Amino acid sequence: MPSARLARLTPYVYILPAVLVMLAGLVYPILSAVRLGFYDWPLGTDFDSARFVGFQAFAEMLASTQVWTSMGITVAFVLIAVSAELVLGIALALFLEKPVRGMRFFRTVFVLPMMVAPICVGLIWRYLFDANFGPINHLSAWLGLSPQAWLADPVLAFSAMVITDIWQWTPFVLIMVLAGLQGLDESVIEAARIDGANAWQQIVRVKLPILKPILIVTLLARMIDGFRGLEVIYVMTFGGPGLSTELFSLHIFKAAFISQKLGYSSALSILLLVIVSALSLAILLISNPLKAKARR
Amino acid sequence: MKRRQLLQGAAAGAALGPWVHTLAQDRYAKYKGQTIVVNYPAHPHYDQAEKLFAEFTAETGIKVERDKMQYLRMKDKQVLEMGKRGNGDYDVVVYVVMWKTEYVKKDLLQPLDGYFANSALADPAWDQKDIIDRYWETNALVGGPKMYLPGPGARPYGIPFGAETGVLAYRTDLFAKHKLAAPKTYDELLAACRLMKDKEGIGGLTSRGQTGHQVTAAWLLHLTPNGGEVFDSQWRAAFNNAQGVRAAEILKEIVDTGPAGIPSYGFGEMQNAFLQGQAAMYLDSVSIFGPAQDPAKSRVAGKIAYAVHPKGSKHSAQSGGFAMAIPKNARNKDAAFLFMQWMTSKQADLKIALAGGNINRWSTLDNADVAKKYPIELPALRESLKIANPDWRPLIPEWDHISQQILGQALPDVITGGKPAKQALDAVVKAAEDVVRQGGWLKA
Amino acid sequence: MSHPTSVPRGSPLHYLMLALLATACLLPLVIMTMTSLKTEAQIFDTQWSWLFAPTLDNYRAVVEENHIERYMLNSLKVSLAATLITLMLGTMCAYAMARFRFLGREPLSYSTLILRTLPPAVLAVPVFVIWSAWGIGDTLSGVVLVYVALNLPFTIWLLYGFIDQLPIELEEAAAIDGCGPFRVFYKIVLPLLKPGLAAAAIFTFRLAWNEFILGFILTNRITRTLPASISNYITDTGVEWGKIMAAGVLIALPPLIFTFVAAKQIITGLTAGAVKG
Repeated sequence: MPSARLARLTPYVYILPAVLVMLAGLVYPILSAVRLGFYDWPLGTDFDSARFVGFQAFAEMLASTQVWTSMGITVAFVLIAVSAELVLGIALALFLEKPVRGMRFFRTVFVLPMMVAPICVGLIWRYLFDANFGPINHLSAWLGLSPQAWLADPVLAFSAMVITDIWQWTPFVLIMVLAGLQGLDESVIEAARIDGANAWQQIVRVKLPILKPILIVTLLARMIDGFRGLEVIYVMTFGGPGLSTELFSLHIFKAAFISQKLGYSSALSILLLVIVSALSLAILLISNPLKAKARR
Repeated sequence: MKRRQLLQGAAAGAALGPWVHTLAQDRYAKYKGQTIVVNYPAHPHYDQAEKLFAEFTAETGIKVERDKMQYLRMKDKQVLEMGKRGNGDYDVVVYVVMWKTEYVKKDLLQPLDGYFANSALADPAWDQKDIIDRYWETNALVGGPKMYLPGPGARPYGIPFGAETGVLAYRTDLFAKHKLAAPKTYDELLAACRLMKDKEGIGGLTSRGQTGHQVTAAWLLHLTPNGGEVFDSQWRAAFNNAQGVRAAEILKEIVDTGPAGIPSYGFGEMQNAFLQGQAAMYLDSVSIFGPAQDPAKSRVAGKIAYAVHPKGSKHSAQSGGFAMAIPKNARNKDAAFLFMQWMTSKQADLKIALAGGNINRWSTLDNADVAKKYPIELPALRESLKIANPDWRPLIPEWDHISQQILGQALPDVITGGKPAKQALDAVVKAAEDVVRQGGWLKA
Repeated sequence: MSHPTSVPRGSPLHYLMLALLATACLLPLVIMTMTSLKTEAQIFDTQWSWLFAPTLDNYRAVVEENHIERYMLNSLKVSLAATLITLMLGTMCAYAMARFRFLGREPLSYSTLILRTLPPAVLAVPVFVIWSAWGIGDTLSGVVLVYVALNLPFTIWLLYGFIDQLPIELEEAAAIDGCGPFRVFYKIVLPLLKPGLAAAAIFTFRLAWNEFILGFILTNRITRTLPASISNYITDTGVEWGKIMAAGVLIALPPLIFTFVAAKQIITGLTAGAVKG
């Protein structure tokens, strides 16, 4: 029989490797990013020659129109794309809610878009939207519509970015909502029907409220992913034309590796981190798995 | 003067023939078996140059490993590698000329004069004067006036390779159909653009336009010919004066009458639009000579003629391109130099030019076989070299940032119609002047 | 479990909708594959053609000219290593959190939930700087380390949910029989965790295989991973669509295969906790 002291140590032994890796790979870099934000350090030079500049990078960041434009674009992208995905996903899930034969095959297909590498997604859609050789313009011409220079126009490029995100993630929302609907107790719907509720009222008064937790979790997960988005747009438009598709993660990357200002990009990272952490805290407060288990 | 030197050199070389050959073998003997790593762009000239690597290895015993990348992304990787303590991964880097001062300022490159003076390594037949002077001045020299121009203090840090100037290419069939002559002035150029768009339904002039470096390069093409400049002699912003605005408006008109999608065009898309027949004219690098003749790449081979960059208030063509250099933290510097010297030698330059790459040397330009391959191109190239302007853009160390993040963010608004040119350029004057002030150019 | 015999056949409208959705999901992927089999002339043709003579030239080119097999091998090594290590560390950690009370348990679980959402862009610069200082700035081990760190929070949280569902009686019985805590873990808990492990493995592999930004920054030309190599095809002679799509197909293939083999586990992983919580 293991001694009492050994037993007490057991959980620490179990968690130690994981904690060490997360400290080294996540926490330490985040703390470094905070520290780096106080320096002016051009890429390619030694850190010893980096100047300590205090809050200058943060001030520059808050005063920069490019930063606010990029943040605005990111917020707009997240709001529009995620709303569209939620509405579409819920509508489709409600329509397809009945389990039918062959559903397994279709569900498998629906998982495909989110499994494809973001960089592939960016490349495919960049090709699809290509002004001269892309299939979308071929299709437009065939339908008699005038082909557009999608990725060359600020509004159209933004729309292309949104459409790509909708393609990749609506199936995800669909799957989540379907799973939620399947957990619904049939008797509750029955009761509502008996009470005289029509189909629409059944949805709004009964199903949606029950779906609320999963909807909110999905919504916030998508929002966080939207703020993290970088690889798709890196390859599709690299932020252009102008700043019309400059998602904030991309702005950070460019500040570091194009403008070569490592300190400034760290300051930008902190801003992004604050926003994403706030969103995750929101998820935690609404749907905390640990608290739920404690309640049980 | 040049000819005599050439003849003298040739005579000396011929006399020394066998002995020179033995010397050459000795030159490489010490480095036999070494491997050097070269970082270079995916670009038509380098695609051709690549084919000579095997020959270089066979002759010298030095193996070559290459890391090929998109040219605008090379800089990120190069700076990362060259900034490392200890040895970096690359022995040879190819830089785009607009990075040369930044690299030297950050002390990342090895100066080359030591190698040229080293009789154990330098090839007496290499002949620096044979390299086209404009290219040597623009691509190789750093440290002169304004840091990027030839003159007192300038030293070579790179060897031009894939250097280029600008040329106008146009579709002879379409021009003949509409009885147009080759545009000589900007007015004629813009008139031809409008005509092609209206009557032929294809783009007039293809152009770069992608946000960042590309759209700035496109605008710069029209800046100096119309009397403009980016900064004045005191380093205050001059790009928003009447000439700068006019250049931006010219660019907008080109975009409006051009093939679809210019605001997303990088160099490749721009060249491709002309070669695939979506635009009637092309005004950019001479690296188009090779691909234009290649039926696998060009649908319009045989239907092209060339002319010099049209005149605004004066003649001014772009000058620049690539050069090869040795990082300070390279492991095999001597072998790297030998590689660079060999690839830019007279024989190699000739072979590459005949295969479709850029011409870097006068001897190649004067060669009979090259003339046979490029009968219509060479006269235009000679004329263009006369008006090639090393000062068509200010290649100060801060230039890359200004080009990508300041001007490169202001000009897209102009070409997409978001803002009038004057307003867009005025909006970035402060940002640009802050940068040159920080760099020490603009006093107070 | 008996196969449900009463799953109804849906209405034609239902199936039409499903078919439309499936087409929308598949069409871009199909076009990617088609383009990878076309020649440059066919791609730049002004007419779109569904029927064409396919060629394997692009695949041949990316293998011969661009050493894509080197990048594929790097990606494979990194993904397998990251998956294995993440599973090992994550399972142990999740088990401890589910079954033991210890100091720091609450902070640890909150931290994993928040760290789960960390944007990779935030990590890019500091990780590059730190990894270079530690000498692993362009090694595969460095890449594996950061991928494990990125995946642990989600894996821990996912497996925590699964372990929590397991009836503790089985483990208590084994303990009474004289099994030490480690044996209980290996003999009783792990086998029952298979679905959770499968889901975690797939997600970790997917992220490690697909990831581009950190793979681009943290590798040199020898250790470069497959997605990071793709930017090499965006050349200055225009985008080489045929070759890019060929590389894209190669990148997309393993996750797509996983999807067909293990769709159920993926969906379980996605919905775990969200539905029950």
